[in-house]
Amino acid sequence: MGAGAAALLVAGLGAGAASAAQTVTLTETGSSLLYPLFNIWVPHFEKAHPGIRVTTQSTGSGTGIAQAIKGLVQIGASDAYMSNGQLKQSPGILNIPLAISAQSINYNLPGLNGHHLVFSGPVLAGIYSGTINNWDSPAIAKLNPGVKLPNHKIIPVHRTDGSGDTFIFSQYLSFSTPDWNSKIGYGTSISWPAVQGGLGAQGNPGMVEALKGNKYSIAYVGVSFAQQIDAAKLGTAKLVNRAGKAVLPTAKTVSAAAAALGDKTPTDERISLIFAPGANSYPIINYEYAIVNKKQANKATADAVKTLLTWASNQGNAEQYLKQVHFKALPKKIRELSAKQIAQIEG
Amino acid sequence: MSKVKPFRLTMAAVALLIPLALAAIVFFLARYSWQAIGFNGLRFLWTINWNLGNLYGNTVIHHGYEVPPGANYGILAFIVGTLFSSFLAILFAVPVSVGTAMFLSEKAPARMRPWLTMLVELVAVVPSVVFGLWGIFVLVPLIANWISPAITAVFGFIPFFNMNNSTGSGYGLLAASIVLALMITPIITTTLYDALNQVPRELRESAYALGATHFEVVASTMLPTARVTLIGGIVLALGRALGETMAVLMVSGGALNYLPGTIFTPISTMAAFILSQLDSALQDPSNMAVKSLAEIALVLFVITVLVNAAARLLVRRTINVRNA
Repeated sequence: MGAGAAALLVAGLGAGAASAAQTVTLTETGSSLLYPLFNIWVPHFEKAHPGIRVTTQSTGSGTGIAQAIKGLVQIGASDAYMSNGQLKQSPGILNIPLAISAQSINYNLPGLNGHHLVFSGPVLAGIYSGTINNWDSPAIAKLNPGVKLPNHKIIPVHRTDGSGDTFIFSQYLSFSTPDWNSKIGYGTSISWPAVQGGLGAQGNPGMVEALKGNKYSIAYVGVSFAQQIDAAKLGTAKLVNRAGKAVLPTAKTVSAAAAALGDKTPTDERISLIFAPGANSYPIINYEYAIVNKKQANKATADAVKTLLTWASNQGNAEQYLKQVHFKALPKKIRELSAKQIAQIEG
Repeated sequence: MSKVKPFRLTMAAVALLIPLALAAIVFFLARYSWQAIGFNGLRFLWTINWNLGNLYGNTVIHHGYEVPPGANYGILAFIVGTLFSSFLAILFAVPVSVGTAMFLSEKAPARMRPWLTMLVELVAVVPSVVFGLWGIFVLVPLIANWISPAITAVFGFIPFFNMNNSTGSGYGLLAASIVLALMITPIITTTLYDALNQVPRELRESAYALGATHFEVVASTMLPTARVTLIGGIVLALGRALGETMAVLMVSGGALNYLPGTIFTPISTMAAFILSQLDSALQDPSNMAVKSLAEIALVLFVITVLVNAAARLLVRRTINVRNA
């Protein structure tokens, strides 16, 4: 905290000295998952680029996208890429990946939190639609042979606020379970089936609180909250991937999934990385996006935005920053695609 | 030529600002949600299925309106959640407030009185997000571990009071109502306290002279005199409870697509739901989701006005009965 403030101060002084040439202020708003990373980035970025100030705000991915489209902010942060419908309405908007995030499935199961239970998409879909409602139900037992599961009702916890985590979690269920796909589908807020005993929570901190406070609960949590999960001694699940193997979210499995779909990433970089092929691929990972209008207010702003995005997706992808929030670096090929998109920004 | 009256004109203009602002809000809400009102029809009010639809699919034309595939907006669960939590909050808050006001005006030591009154007023200025945090960290665990089992043990034979019919997580109708009750208690207390202080001295002394005990003086002479003010305070408090957003959002458990089966079941209120859905609604390319949220705001406004009018009618009735 103190070091960060000092760095900010130094950056501020530097800006004062360097800028008879004007200081450009950029505003970032949106995803609460990207927010901590931006706060880690900004002091270092401002130090390297004294003429640019960046203010950050955690509001939610939908707000980030909407405000970037309206031109209220230069950079909207989002866990989800824009839909075709939105892009048709606002054709000049770019979706630029800044880092790779993942999501863990966590549970609070007395006596079993140290044990990595195995879940599959269809079983999670069953839990969240209420067809599987007991911990010792055959479907869960089948994935966890030899584990003594308690005879107790499951409390599935979901997000009540619009959330990129809901987006990627429901995509995992949709891509792995045809029934969920046709009835519920995916989105940042979905029409959760009425599960007797289910619970809604606000934000990732609310999810962790709900897990801590409720034995026999299960929830999906952004991987940047891994420290809080470990501190609360909650269980982390192994998930069944497309190849049928159960894997934990680790550096290796997240990178494997990113590599598996990296080549498929189109030039506009809008792609889901969920349920990637490959024996070692973790099934719930995603690009964290900057949503940016190609046409900025003036040349100075456009240059500042380009500088920031280029820095974030290259120097900003260094391990020293990303490891603090458990994100992973973008593959080289993605950084090249991003560079081409960034080049389109103009004043 | 008639005389221009600048003072009167400026005052009238200033006075008109508030009703104009109100009219502007209603007009804006109605206009903005017009398409949603047409698309949703009356089933908006009495169905419980809320679904933004597939925001990543291509929009479809449904009943002549462009919406995301699968979109369906029904808010009965939120109306029920709002009314239940607010009325329960009033039920909890009124006895506490009446007791507190009576204590402050009658039994509190004179030197302590200003301090105690200030403490009560202080509760009214606590930001609602602080109440929400307190709710999450103190009240919710308390409900889960102590209050729910206690209520179940005593009233468990009534399904509505049996925790085994819900998660027992602590989040839900009861938590929301208690937090709301805490927030509105100072409103009712201070209005009643002021009214009790204004009861004519003669009235109180005559009652004493007739041989009434202290309790009888307060209960049968002072409270009836202050009754109209008390009801006014309750109406004010109800207005606050119906529209409270943040604190409720944090402890209500965010129910979707079902009605509360017990006092421990998660709920959603209309105000809290607008806040929690707005971010995702903004991603709807057809804008129908945001317009439907505006329609919820309109319905909430109408409900608040209706509740207010009903309470006023009730007050007038009470006065008439007493005067007859």
